Parts: sequence; structure tokens; C-alpha cells
Amino acid sequence: MSVDVTGVDRDTLVRPIKTFSNRYVAALAVALGLIGVWLFFYSQQLRNGLIVTNLADWGSGGGVPWGLYIGAFIWWVGIAHGGIILSAAVRLLGMDTYQPVARLAELLTIAALTCAGIFILIHVGRPDRLVTSVLPAWPTRVQWSPLMWDVTVITAYFVLTATYLALTIRYDVNRLRDRLPNRLEPLYAALTVGYTETEDEVVERMVWWIAFAIIIMAPLLLHGGVIPWLFSLLPSMAGWHGGVQGPSFLSIALTSAVSGIIIIAAAFRHAYGWEELIPRAVFQGLAKWLGFFSLIFLWLQLQQVITGIFAAPTTLQHATEVKISTPLYWVAIGLVVLAMLYAFATALRPDLFDIRALVGISVGVLIGTLTEKVLFVVEGLQHAHFALYDGVPGQYVPSPVEISAVLGTVGIVVLFFLVVSKVIPVVELHAIEEHEEVDA
Amino acid sequence: MSTDDESMYTTVDEEDRQLLEETEFDAELGAEMARDAQRVAADELSEVEFYRRYHDRILEEFDVDDREIAIPDPDEVDADDVNAVDRVEEAFGGIGEALRDVGGDDAESRRSVMKKGAAAAALGLSGLGTAGATTGGNGTAGAGGDDGEGTRWGMTINLNNCDGCLACMVACNQEHNLSRGANWMYVFSFEDEGQGDETNFLPRTCQHCTDSPCTKVCPVGARHTREEDGLVLTDYDICIGCRYCEVSCPYGVNYFQWGEPDVPESEVDDDHQIDDRGRWVGSRPPEGVMGKCTFCVDRQDGQMGEDLIGTTACEEACAMNAIHFGDLNDPESDPNQHLAEYRDGQENDTSTYPNRKGHTVSTFKLMEERGTEPNVQFIGNEPSPHAEQVEGPVAYEDVGLVDDRKEVLDRGAAANGGEEA
Ligand code: SF4
Ligand code: SF4
Repeated sequence: MSVDVTGVDRDTLVRPIKTFSNRYVAALAVALGLIGVWLFFYSQQLRNGLIVTNLADWGSGGGVPWGLYIGAFIWWVGIAHGGIILSAAVRLLGMDTYQPVARLAELLTIAALTCAGIFILIHVGRPDRLVTSVLPAWPTRVQWSPLMWDVTVITAYFVLTATYLALTIRYDVNRLRDRLPNRLEPLYAALTVGYTETEDEVVERMVWWIAFAIIIMAPLLLHGGVIPWLFSLLPSMAGWHGGVQGPSFLSIALTSAVSGIIIIAAAFRHAYGWEELIPRAVFQGLAKWLGFFSLIFLWLQLQQVITGIFAAPTTLQHATEVKISTPLYWVAIGLVVLAMLYAFATALRPDLFDIRALVGISVGVLIGTLTEKVLFVVEGLQHAHFALYDGVPGQYVPSPVEISAVLGTVGIVVLFFLVVSKVIPVVELHAIEEHEEVDA
Repeated sequence: MSTDDESMYTTVDEEDRQLLEETEFDAELGAEMARDAQRVAADELSEVEFYRRYHDRILEEFDVDDREIAIPDPDEVDADDVNAVDRVEEAFGGIGEALRDVGGDDAESRRSVMKKGAAAAALGLSGLGTAGATTGGNGTAGAGGDDGEGTRWGMTINLNNCDGCLACMVACNQEHNLSRGANWMYVFSFEDEGQGDETNFLPRTCQHCTDSPCTKVCPVGARHTREEDGLVLTDYDICIGCRYCEVSCPYGVNYFQWGEPDVPESEVDDDHQIDDRGRWVGSRPPEGVMGKCTFCVDRQDGQMGEDLIGTTACEEACAMNAIHFGDLNDPESDPNQHLAEYRDGQENDTSTYPNRKGHTVSTFKLMEERGTEPNVQFIGNEPSPHAEQVEGPVAYEDVGLVDDRKEVLDRGAAANGGEEA
């Protein structure tokens, strides 16, 4: 399936920058509102400490020291990782169909990584020490602590993504300069500093290599590696241990990321009348990817459940039994099953396909993956190998402070897209035009 | 071995480090050697070990190891030999001098030495002490086994003696100014399969594991093993409060300081908080930082008097003689002695069954299969996976303790009041 959008003109591409509507203001208000709610609650945490969360100590304390904050951290990192993997795949494998959403995926990566960072910041007890303690410890600790691996890899790959974006943006800004607003001139000048057309070819190659690096890193270091290793390497919690966590986390990341891209692409398409620029076929293709990743997600869940209950060691069996008797777990699984069924059904009967339904399904998937991640963290902690603590009553329901942070970060992502779309083209020029040949 | 003022070696402080850095030689190596040399002088490290440890690196750095020590017969090593310090001096010019000054038997007060150490720690230089420590195997105390060098603090807890009175919990709480529900010492009462409704008890401290996952996972090296004696401690000045140590510990012994501590800083003496390396590791943690049982580090450092070295608050409070604290590397120490005596008292019939072991005493370490090498051993029956916690003869509330910390914290959360935790 290949779709030709090369007929679309440059004016369409810069439409978000040129227009300003009431709907835009409304969206801005909603985003700022969400952020405001979170900041209101977060100020309480700043004043009183983490006690305003519903976290507590596991063990005799009967609580969980990691909860929604960490669950949401993994979720955002997953969306980010999935986003960049998909965009890298588009570039690497030349999947031109998806070129119109490649930059959206990259931008989503940057925004989601920022949110993940925020969750680390608000999770720790002494955010003021993040620099003073982490930097000096880095050389000696990076070989030991999976958390340090995370910080390292996430930073490295934030840099990769930003480089990637910056390089491709230079090309576009330079060519669309006459259509971009003058008041942002200094910014554009900074973005394109030292640009000459001869760099295009070099950039093209660099981008390819960066994409290559990202694809290679994905299973080894990103969501298939360091993030699941945060949990799967520990000797303490039955539900966390084991080699399946890597593939499982990666499948969740990809499922969430496709959902995120679908929602954002649909929003832009709807808001700016981009039916031509992001045609229906792109969404049909994304739906198939969503179905495929959902299937893998479900398959890996099945692996864990079956090995956890058939003849598993006592503590793992107990943890798995608790997991499958939790209604919320089945809600999460159900939402993903629904996505898979919808994707496959509409692949067979394309006339059933509807972009609005797909967006609804994608929202469901994101709720499902967030739920699964939080349950993974929380239930893992509630059923340790040290079974004597099972007698300690303990329930964890995230406090308003914690829940507001999820809303706040969603607000941040919305705000990010609203702002960025007014500054640079969120769909790259390559989507509508072949590369210009340059005589070096 | 004692850890009194004489033998106290110090953190290499900022000034000395700069001095070291100004030489063209490896400052790291110099600092490490100086520290270990002090250890040799304090008889905490054998000269042979000192030589072995640095020989290759010195050769690499100077092409010649002019420490020129013929490997001495270990039996002849003079405990008071301070030559090691001089040898460092030879290698690094006058720096050993400077270092010895900080070692300060008289020039500087103990307190100011501590302060210097703390300053260095705050600058993150304490990574010096943690890099090796966290590998678990290199420390003098790390090796495990009764023949290890140096001190390895640990416990033998005799469950057959424990009657669940909770006196140890109370004592620990008071001594370390813990907030409500932060039960560094925790006594389980439990019933087990096949034992009817007989109640058993299990006092649980931090196991001060030799191969501790908590020190491995700490991203900033705040949770570390103190090399001199194997204590697993948290540097309150460095900890970022990520709680990774807490989730990695198989025993659930960590208690985070979620809000303001119940006992304010002004009421806690520095002596209880700053250890002999000048690091803030003792008493309850400040807000936003992780705490857990320290095996009464202040006592082991002699801060509460010479007599209390080698004791803990819980041990002292236990009227049933269940808790035995001491140096596991020393066959004469209380935990080793108690176990030996207890075994002697329960001889097995080896005349009829010559292949049986000599006693009928069952011992265990908690979840040894997790590979943590705990330094607490128990006499008695290990709780089975089916053991269930039950109410004990003395309720936690009866002695002024809180069991379910979550409740305290939730009340704090509802009130948004920091004072609650
Ligand atoms: S018991 Fe837990 S906290 Fe204590 S040393 Fe072992 S792993 Fe660390
Ligand atoms: S809570 Fe503190 S001591 Fe524990 S792992 Fe995090 S930084 Fe280290």
C-alpha cells in the first residue's frame, strides 16, 4: 500500500502556522487547565513531601513505595520509545506511506520523554539532589545501578532524537522560509545557522545512521532492555523477575506509541483539514500495526500467565493468581483485545473502517497500557517472595496528587504540540516533495 | 578489634585530594592507598594484603614498586607498624604527611575531622569509599565465612528464646528516634502449617547482606557497604530518595521518610548521626531520604562509649537472650559463641548414627536462595511459605508502636500535614 501525497502543496503544510482559530484557543485553555490542576496539587507535595501521595513502605508498612508515578514513567517512556522506533523504521525501510506522520512521532517522542523525566523528578524524595548526587556518582555507579543505566540511555536517546529532528527541520525551514512568520525570524535563523544545500546529502546519510542506531538500540537498550531490567533483575519480587519482561515491555511500548500517533495525527488532520496530507490509508496502515502489536502484547501476557499458574514456584503462582483475579487487569487486557479485533476486522472489511472509531480504540489502548503498567509495579510490590508480609493489610489507590500528575503531563504533551505546530511544519516537506537534487 | 579513636582512619578530604591531584600521579590510587595504609596502621588490614592490593597498580604508575617490602610472614606483621603510611609518603612526596595530620590524634578534634569528611561526602568524593564497597567482594569485611579478615558485624537470633515481648522494637525505636511505623526492628508473630495454633516469632532487622542488592541498585552510591566492618548504611547526604533500594531488598526492611520526621533534627545528637568516616549515616533519616536498621552504627563506632561497641539496642533490650550481636569473623564473638554453646547443649546420638552431625539444632538464614548472603543467622525453624502472620501476645499498640505505617501515612496524606509521618 503506497499513497502518493506529493500533489499536496506547500501552503497546506504550513497551514497550522498560518491560521489561528477559537478551537486552538480552547485546546490551549484545556492544556493549561490540566497543567494548572497538577501544579496546584504538586505544590502540596513540594510543601509537605511525598506523604501527600498514597505511597508507603512495603513490608511491615503494608504499602507500596513505587506506584502511579513509576507506572506513568514507564508508560511515557514506552510511548517515546515506540514513537522513535516507528519513525526510525519509516526512514530506514523507506516506508513512504507513513512519511506524513514520521515527524509527529518524533515530536511525540520528545514530549513523552519530557513527561517521563517529570515523573522521575516528582517521584524522588530529594529532587534538589538530582544533579548534585547523580553527576558525581555517575562514573562509579553506571556499571551497577539499572536506574543509572536508564538515566544514561534515556538522556543519550533524547539527544539522538533531538539531533534527528533538528537535522531534518533545517531542510524544511530553509525551503519554506518565505511562508513562515517573520516574528520568529531569530529562531529560524538559529535553526538554520550555517545551512547550505550541500549538507543535505550528508544529513540524509546521518539521519539514516541515527535511525539505524535507534533500531539496533531498541531491543537491546531501550524499552526491551534497560527499562524492564529495572524490575526483572531484582531478587525481591516474584511478579517482576524473568526474561519475558523485555519483550513484554517492548510490545507495550509499540502498542502505546502507535495509539498515540494515531490520536495526534487524527487531531491534526481534523483541525487543519489535512485529508489529503494524511490520507485515510495512513490510518488504515497504522490500524494494522496497532492490531499486530496488540497481538504480540497479548501473546506475551499469555506467556506470563500460563507459566505463572501451571506449576510455578509458590510465590510466583501467588503473584500470578492475584494478577488474574484483579478486575482492572482484565479491563486493560480487554481494551487491547478490542483494538486487535477492530484492527483485524477492518483489515478484512475496509468499509467498516472509521478514523473516529480508531481514535476511540487508541484512547482505550492507552488507558489499558497505563493500567497494566501501574498494576505491574504495584501488584509486584504487594506480593514479594517474602510471603510473611502478606498478612499486612495494604491497599494502594493513587491519591489526587498522583492522578493529577498524569493529567498534567497529558496537558504538557498537548501544549507542546500546540506550540510547536505554530513554529515549525509538523509534517515534513519530504512527505509532499521528492528530495531536491543538489549539484554538489 | 576496636574502632576507637586511635584506629579511626579518616576520609581523604578535599584539601588532601587537591594536593594529590596536583602531583602527576594517579590521585585516586594515592587516596586509596593512604586510606588503606591507615587501615594497616589500625591493624584492620594486613600488610600482605596491602602489598598485594596495590603492587600491580604501583608498578603501572611508577614502573617500580619501591615500597620494597619482602612479603613478610603474616605471623610476624607488627600490628602497630605504621611503615605503610611512610611508604605511601615515599611514593607521593609529602602528602602522606598531610594525610596523617588529618588522621588527627590530637591536632584536630574528632568533630572537625568528621565535618571535613562530611564536606567531602557532600562533594561526592565519597564515591571513593563506595565504588569498591558496593562490589561486595573487595571489602575487608565482604568475603563471608568465619575466616574473613577484619570485622563483619552480624547476629545470631535464637527464635527458640523469643517470646514476642517487642522490647527490642521499642528500644530500637527510641534509640534511633524513628518515626511512627518505621520499625527498623520488626517482630513477626506467625503460625505455620503443621504446628497447630502455636505462635512462633521472627525478629527481623536489616540482614546487612554481604551481597546486598540494595547497594548494587542505588544509583548514587548512597546505600553502601562500609568496608571496615560490612555494615550496610545509607548516606543521608547523598540519597535522592528514589526508593530503589527498598524495592530491591527481598526482606522489606527499608522505611522511607515520607514526611517530616517525628523527632526534629535539633533533638538528635551529631554523635549518633555521623560515623567514623564523617558520613551522615546514623539515627533516623531526614525527610525525603531512605532509612533502615544500621546495626547501631553509632555504638560500633564507639560514640556511645567503649563498652557499647559490639552491642545493639535491641540486643540489650532483649531479656530472653534471643539476640546476639557481634563480629561474625571472630570465633569468640557472642553470635558465634551462642550458636556453639547451643549446639553443644543439643548433642545428637552419634554413637548409634555416626554419620549424623553432632547436634540437632536447626539454623537458617532468611531466603538464602536469593543469593544475598545475609549476616543474620537464626536458630529455630524457618517460616514455611505457608506461614501466616497472627496477633502476638503483645500488641504493637500496647507498647506504643504502630504496625501499619500506611495508616499513619494515609492520615498524613489526608491532612496534608507533614508532621504525621
Ligand atoms: S536486608 Fe535488604 S536493606 Fe539490608 S542489606 Fe540486605 S538487601 Fe540491603
Ligand atoms: S533511596 Fe537513596 S539509598 Fe535508596 S537507592 Fe535511592 S538514592 Fe540509594
